[in-house]
Amino acid sequence: MSLVRWWSGLVLAFALLAVLRIYLPLPFAIEVIIFSIYTLGCSFLLGRVGFISFGQPAYLAIGAYATAFYLFYFGNNPYIGILIGIAAGIVGSLLVGPLLVRLRGDYFALVNLALAVIIYYLMQKVLADITHGDNGLWYLTNMSSTPVLDLTRPDQFFIFAFIVAFAIWVFFKYLDDSIYGACCLAVKVNEDKLRFLGYDNFKVRLTAFVIANTTTALAGALYAVYLGFVSPEITSPARAADPVVVTILGGAGTLYGPIVGAIVYTGMKDVVSKVIGNWELIVGFTLVFIMLAGEKGIWGSLEPRLNRLMDRMTGKRSDEVGQ
Amino acid sequence: MIDSQLLVSGFVFGLSMGSIFFLMTIGLSLCFGVMRVISLDQLLYYTVGAYIAYTVSLAIGNLWIGVLGGIVVGGLAALAVERLVFRRIYEREIAFSMITSFGILIGGVGVVKYFWGLVPRPVAMPIDAQIFVLGTEIPVYRLVVVGIAGLVYGGIWLFLNKTIVGKAIRAGIENVEHVEGLGINVSRLFTLIFIIAGGLSGLAGGLHAPLIMVEPQMGLEVLAFAFMVVIIGGLGSIKGTLVSSFLVGQVVSIGSLIYAPLAQMAPFAIMLLILLVWPTGLFGSPMLKK
Amino acid sequence: MSGNGSTLGNLLEVSGLNVAYGESKVLFDVGITVKPGQVVACVGRNGAGKSTLLKTIAGFIKPSSGTVTANGTNLVGLTAYVVAGMGIKYIPQDKKVFSDLTVQENLELGSYASKDYGWDKVYDYFPKLKTLLDRKAGYLSGGERQMLMVGRAILGHPKLLLVDEPTEGLAPSIVSHLKEVFGELKKKTALVIVEQNLPMICAIADKIYAVSEGHIMAEITDRDQIKPEVCEKYL
Repeated sequence: MSLVRWWSGLVLAFALLAVLRIYLPLPFAIEVIIFSIYTLGCSFLLGRVGFISFGQPAYLAIGAYATAFYLFYFGNNPYIGILIGIAAGIVGSLLVGPLLVRLRGDYFALVNLALAVIIYYLMQKVLADITHGDNGLWYLTNMSSTPVLDLTRPDQFFIFAFIVAFAIWVFFKYLDDSIYGACCLAVKVNEDKLRFLGYDNFKVRLTAFVIANTTTALAGALYAVYLGFVSPEITSPARAADPVVVTILGGAGTLYGPIVGAIVYTGMKDVVSKVIGNWELIVGFTLVFIMLAGEKGIWGSLEPRLNRLMDRMTGKRSDEVGQ
Repeated sequence: MIDSQLLVSGFVFGLSMGSIFFLMTIGLSLCFGVMRVISLDQLLYYTVGAYIAYTVSLAIGNLWIGVLGGIVVGGLAALAVERLVFRRIYEREIAFSMITSFGILIGGVGVVKYFWGLVPRPVAMPIDAQIFVLGTEIPVYRLVVVGIAGLVYGGIWLFLNKTIVGKAIRAGIENVEHVEGLGINVSRLFTLIFIIAGGLSGLAGGLHAPLIMVEPQMGLEVLAFAFMVVIIGGLGSIKGTLVSSFLVGQVVSIGSLIYAPLAQMAPFAIMLLILLVWPTGLFGSPMLKK
Repeated sequence: MSGNGSTLGNLLEVSGLNVAYGESKVLFDVGITVKPGQVVACVGRNGAGKSTLLKTIAGFIKPSSGTVTANGTNLVGLTAYVVAGMGIKYIPQDKKVFSDLTVQENLELGSYASKDYGWDKVYDYFPKLKTLLDRKAGYLSGGERQMLMVGRAILGHPKLLLVDEPTEGLAPSIVSHLKEVFGELKKKTALVIVEQNLPMICAIADKIYAVSEGHIMAEITDRDQIKPEVCEKYL
């Protein structure tokens, strides 16, 4: 794959986000960016390693609450808060990872959801003294202005989130093209054969698990800083499927899928809840329809066509299908 | 030390809760066992069953007819979903059925909202009587629920062990392809299992209705518990579902007596512990599709 | 020429059969014919596509092209239970009986599917099964399981039995018992047997197809040529 194409897709995707910023309200654009970071972990797990996780809110909450604790009780620098969120994500997924990645796919999905519910009740009831239960932690005014990019100002926060998202995409793109990406796919397709080649399944899976869930925790940390408060609602069981739905909407395992999915999902939720007021109906049946029509999702179905279009435009003849 | 009266009422409370869990998850377990699909839409039939019980008991003042209505509607809804959706995805991986059925569940919640609105609805208890067991006052309705679950388990046991269709289902849990190879129409078998599963989920909803508030999200709220029951018991095992339903029911009930937040947390902790030792649950078979 | 000399139409005719699992092709333009009362053997190495051929005929796998015709009816596109209902029964390999069910229940399922409750013929071939009726099939020995598999399949007077590796891993005494049974069965039904045990299969086969890497390498119909040494040349 040529370096030009390598970058062109990324630049195109982020140009789209930049355009969104101009034409759409700022909260929507920020929501889309954070949501797509949130989804990327889930998409990577499902598309590359074959793990479907209904428990992503658990890791989102780990990141968000770690950041919130720091900003509420200890300090006021949002950058440090985000770093603490990332660290908590790594520690959290290292703690549960060794147990979870041993499980068969169906059990993995179910147990992950259970984990999200545990954390929900933990934050809502058990640790209510520290988390203030359903009221949540409010620290918007605690955060101090920071030099270079002032994260307390939404317009500058957007630029920061944009850069972070871009960096993460480059990282995942790199992963995809590396030997590690190939190993992940191999775990998904046939673990026995991978073992014969001398790779340790457990390590490949655990690494994927930690990478994906740390990304999700980072999204949580971003939410925490952007919103200025965190409540247990973030890990509510009713929202457990959000990242899975977005992943499927966009197409699992594709890199631009999460962006496309996040735009469509956030937009759909906004529009539908304004116009009809019953977004479950639309989201649910859209999901069923997409699954029956073909699991590739919106981006997954568009990608081969766009590739052909690009090839024709650049006058290149290519036999590559997809990537 | 916990008061013995509290303990007895807690135990009965746990039994009735376990009964509801059992009725709710038996469909999930059967569908996984034979068809190797995860049918989260069962929780929709549970919700629908509760709403039908609510509407009918409001209209004619008899909950039991409402519960029967819930069974019928649950079964019919399951039939429709099987024909329209599951029929097309039996061959796919498990994740596929899980996502698709989650879509049906969410979409169905939307439909329920459309018909019944967002407001939680109370359902009158059909039996107000209390009896004394070991010096403790126990609502008779909870005992009736336990009795019905017992009857259902007995009925399922007889069906699976004494009827030829039931034997075919047991054979199908082991290997569907070989059942088909004998010349048995497995697709009719699948439809039948779906109808039974949907009907039982509807029954669970109808029986649960007087004990809780009926609201559109009720299926999503018990989702985690349903997952837990089938994980602990082992996907596809009916005996496992029975055992873990009552285990989870007791843990929730007795746990909440000791320390209230434990009610929700303890079952999950137990589940994680069990999975550490048995990665496929207490009675789950280690094999998977193909 | 062949077993009972019937030249009137074939019981089963497979032609131009191509089968693929996803991207990888398993069978290439395969054609075989079976006449009533014939024992047809498919021999070849593991992974040659023999089992796939049987499963495709039985309706478990949809071919990408080609025809499977039984008595003038096209079987392609029919589901497996319909094919079985037409009297074409597949006996899978690995002796997978329903281990949680008793022997009696296993037979009941065979009867339920074929509406044939005459178990005496099963006992005629395998007297031992009669003494094992209450035992769970999971506790049977390999040989007993194979007896149950065959017994279950002959209910309903099938026209054609598709038998996948029946003697794999069985003791010699049971192999020779099965050999006798297949020899008897052929008076009533045709058999297609996939087998690695060449001496056994050559003793009862009327025709042999040598299969290699998804192709039919040879069709041996000459009685004198149906010998292990000849077959081995094609493997």
